[in-house]
Amino acid sequence: MNVLRRILFIVALPATAFVILWFFSADIRDELLPRQKRFFLPSLPKILEVFPDTWLLQRHTPAGDLPSRLTHDVVPSLIRLGEGYGLALLIGVALGVAIGSSRPLRALLEPVLEFLRAIPPVALVPVLFLLAGIGDTTKILVIISGCIWPILLNTVEGVRGVDPTLADTCRSYRVGGLLRLRTFILRSASPQIVTGARQALSIGIILMVISELKASSEGLGHTIQEFTEGFQYPQMWAGVLLLGLIGIVLSLLFRLVERRVLVWYHGQRVAERASS
Amino acid sequence: MLKVQSLRKVYDGHGRQVEALRDITFSVNAGEFVCVVGPSGCGKTTILRLLAGLISPTSGEVGVEGRTVSGPPDGLAMVFQEYGRSLFPWLRVAANVELPLKAKGMAKPERAELVRESLAAVGLADAATAYPWQLSGGMQQRVAIARAIAFQPRVLLMDEPFAAVDAQTRADLEDLVRSVWQRFGMTLLFVTHDIDESVYLAERVIILSSSPTVVLEDLAVDLPAQRDQLETRSDARFVELRHHVYAQVQAAKNQSAAKTVG
Repeated sequence: MNVLRRILFIVALPATAFVILWFFSADIRDELLPRQKRFFLPSLPKILEVFPDTWLLQRHTPAGDLPSRLTHDVVPSLIRLGEGYGLALLIGVALGVAIGSSRPLRALLEPVLEFLRAIPPVALVPVLFLLAGIGDTTKILVIISGCIWPILLNTVEGVRGVDPTLADTCRSYRVGGLLRLRTFILRSASPQIVTGARQALSIGIILMVISELKASSEGLGHTIQEFTEGFQYPQMWAGVLLLGLIGIVLSLLFRLVERRVLVWYHGQRVAERASS
Repeated sequence: MLKVQSLRKVYDGHGRQVEALRDITFSVNAGEFVCVVGPSGCGKTTILRLLAGLISPTSGEVGVEGRTVSGPPDGLAMVFQEYGRSLFPWLRVAANVELPLKAKGMAKPERAELVRESLAAVGLADAATAYPWQLSGGMQQRVAIARAIAFQPRVLLMDEPFAAVDAQTRADLEDLVRSVWQRFGMTLLFVTHDIDESVYLAERVIILSSSPTVVLEDLAVDLPAQRDQLETRSDARFVELRHHVYAQVQAAKNQSAAKTVG
């Protein structure tokens, strides 16, 4: 019962919006927009009609068969996102632990970090092209350069906020080194790390698209831009729809992982609320 | 076994100096159960933290097993007052007890055996797979005690471990600590502000003054080894000792109050 209700809550608004758009988008558009602008906003049925051919199915061209854009463009994009996001997690958490546990290091690095954080990753794209060349490396670097900040800064806060009694417990029982890092520092900072990772994920999806807009020959962002430039608006909107779906799936996956990692945190909070 | 010599500790913070301990000297023999009692704010916890090597003294010396303490000493375990915050909330009960053994580099089967034994010794054999926050306060403190037992310490320090549990649980835990001490024979230093508790538990009670803190009296408790919540507490000798300790602590408080007024 409870599960059913929750599913209903999740699905209710998107489903309603979908139905409304389906039936009325063509009519409203015809009412509101002058004829020459209707071209830019195709109706939802039209977008859905081109969706499978555009993104999912093998393409037949006079020059021969091409693989579907799912394997040719979407999957490479997602792999780059995974690599960039994964590296950002690794570097962000490692640096965050180092900076969070050392006061001198924090004093030294904080102004620099604030400076670097304020640079929009998009502004770095041309510089990165020059440094790392045209290719996957640059795209992954763009994703890292945006994703790393929320992870790094939240990890620093998490590591700074470890409980002094638990720290004393570790000291008096001589829990040190890697064991201490694994079972005390990282676990203790995990709620903040997860918060940072969640913010980084949405930044990562945006940067995945942006990194493909210049000097690119494949990718989800590249293909969407190609459709825009080729006046293929139904196909372009289908791409935007796909991007949104990818966002939903990734955030659901994230929630699944979070629930596993933070079982103790949510349980403890419920227990505390019940007792007070 | 434990030796505290002319110990002085001044906390330095925000331009204000606080003298937590002025001049403390006492010692504890191997296998002895000693309680330190004194008014709140007299620096009892500071003494334990010094013995545990978590902080260092301003002057004077602290020794454990004949060696001067300069960091956490070998074979010494500590049970903290804040049980809720000394257990790792992301580890289940068994893993909490096991962690110090992992740090010791003990083999897995040996660890499992010790964890099982220690949890059984505190009556928590069934709670091994629970998370600490699923347990009551008294049970959490039992887990902390089990963790200390599993560590097989020669010296066990306990810092007001029962300050935050209800009276019934407290009585149970007192008897548990007595039985653990009798069974494992470690040297036990127990800090409390509860006068009844100190007399009921210990072989010897060290009475501290109010801050600036000195040792007022080192009192042997000549009660039979087998203690019982009902009989011991109504024993004439218990009442007498309790009375004596109470008068001492009260006098110390009044003295410091007079000093503040004067």
